[in-house]
Amino acid sequence: MDFIGAYSLGNLLFLLKGLGTTLLVAFIAIIFSFLIGSILGILRYAKIPVLSGIVALCVEVIRNLPLLLIIFFTFFALPEVGIKLSVTMAAITALIIFESAMLSEIVRSGLNSIEKGQIEAARSSGLTYMQTMQHIILPQALRRMVPPIVSQFISLLKDTSLAVVISLPELLHNAQIVNGKNVNYVIPTFLLIAVIYFLVNYSLSLVARRLEIKERTNRKSTGKVLPAKHQAGEMMQ
Amino acid sequence: MISFKHVNKHFGDFQVLTDINLEIKEGEVVVVVGPSGSGKSTLLRCINRLETITDGELMVNKKLLNSKDTNINDLRKEIGMVFQHFNLYPHMTVLENITLAPRKALGISTAEANETAMFYLNKVGIPDKADSYPSQLSGGQQQRVAIARGLALKPHIMLFDEPTSALDPEMIGEVLDVMKTLAKDGMTMVVVTHEMGFAHEVANRVVFMDHGRILEESEPAAFFSNPKEDRARLFLSRVLNH
Ligand SMILES: Nc1ncnc2c1ncn2[C@@H]1O[C@H](COP(=O)(O)OP(=O)(O)O)[C@@H](O)[C@H]1O
Ligand SMILES: [Mg+2]
Repeated sequence: MDFIGAYSLGNLLFLLKGLGTTLLVAFIAIIFSFLIGSILGILRYAKIPVLSGIVALCVEVIRNLPLLLIIFFTFFALPEVGIKLSVTMAAITALIIFESAMLSEIVRSGLNSIEKGQIEAARSSGLTYMQTMQHIILPQALRRMVPPIVSQFISLLKDTSLAVVISLPELLHNAQIVNGKNVNYVIPTFLLIAVIYFLVNYSLSLVARRLEIKERTNRKSTGKVLPAKHQAGEMMQ
Repeated sequence: MISFKHVNKHFGDFQVLTDINLEIKEGEVVVVVGPSGSGKSTLLRCINRLETITDGELMVNKKLLNSKDTNINDLRKEIGMVFQHFNLYPHMTVLENITLAPRKALGISTAEANETAMFYLNKVGIPDKADSYPSQLSGGQQQRVAIARGLALKPHIMLFDEPTSALDPEMIGEVLDVMKTLAKDGMTMVVVTHEMGFAHEVANRVVFMDHGRILEESEPAAFFSNPKEDRARLFLSRVLNH
């Protein structure tokens, strides 16, 4: 083991550059998959004829595929139909496709977790569907969604390392290059990037935990909440 | 004010309401009683179209409920509803709970809505809870807030679906008192309840339902002393004997 050699300035800067790519790819994927996932989740929740069904089918298919397969697909298969993406774009696209599906499920179940009685109270006072969405459903659902969404972001950040298979120059990829120089660098380098991954993700999960605690103390439960037997369907028309 | 003519309601193959005929005039208090599952809630929820009727004619405030020309959101502003489980908005203060619909559905200014809300909070006896969250209130207080929330739209009709069934016994009285005052003020009320004392004291009429049908419609004195239907008699002996 050669810690001194492995942690040379050049190697450290190279790994840092890899971290930069990891964070950049993750950041872009998070922004877009959050937007797309929210839209898909709301579409599925709203039970719009045909459209919600199509969304459901796509989401279920994607959620049940390995992310690695989707990365291979965007990098190796899309060029066959004339869509040629750079390594970075292929990685980002694959992550967005996969994570949008995952996030849409979080959004959908967050929306579904709002009791029917809340919607009935709002609609029976003359609020429209959109007003009910804006003032009653979304504010309550968002609070419940934040912790699982942050967890999903952590997975996403870790999953960027899968793009090593298409040689995206992210943290794990650059670590492998450092390892290639000298077999004595392997353990020190892996140790270092493990610490880096841990620190980045653990600070994210600390944020999630803080939000969770805040959410729990904020949530003001109304009396006994029993499962509503009445469907909201008719009332939403 | 409310008129059911030959109303039927199905949930899929299951018929919940069968040939409902019922006239409720302005200022009347009608109490609906009957065994669990007999269709009381469904009947009530048809009045503001939380449930849609399958056929027949249902007029509320001279408007046909299942007509395309009726703006359901406008009609709902004239009908307050109080639920068994209160259904207060947990993320809003009491004041925000009460003012939301007046501000957003009626378009009233926040200042005016707050003033109206305080008026009704006084009426239900808890003006000091305006800035509390629902979770900080007892069940009885929550239900009184829910009543104030319904009243803040200045509705012509108030619907109550078992408003005291989720309450601890010592809190039932405070909610019933608010409802009695409301009835005295001349509010048109349709109340589903198992509180036979309230029905006896306040109702103009008692409607007895079983298996989705109205079996009996009488003045409370007559209903309680001498129910016409065997099933009403059986029901009364069950609810009054414990
Ligand atoms: N959304 C629904 N779908 C199917 N059946 C329902 C629905 N709501 C109520 N029911 C059924 O209709 C019957 C009457 O229900 P309800 O009006 O709630 O009775 P009550 O209020 O008198 O207890 C019950 O058998 C109930 O199971
Ligand atoms: Mg009921």
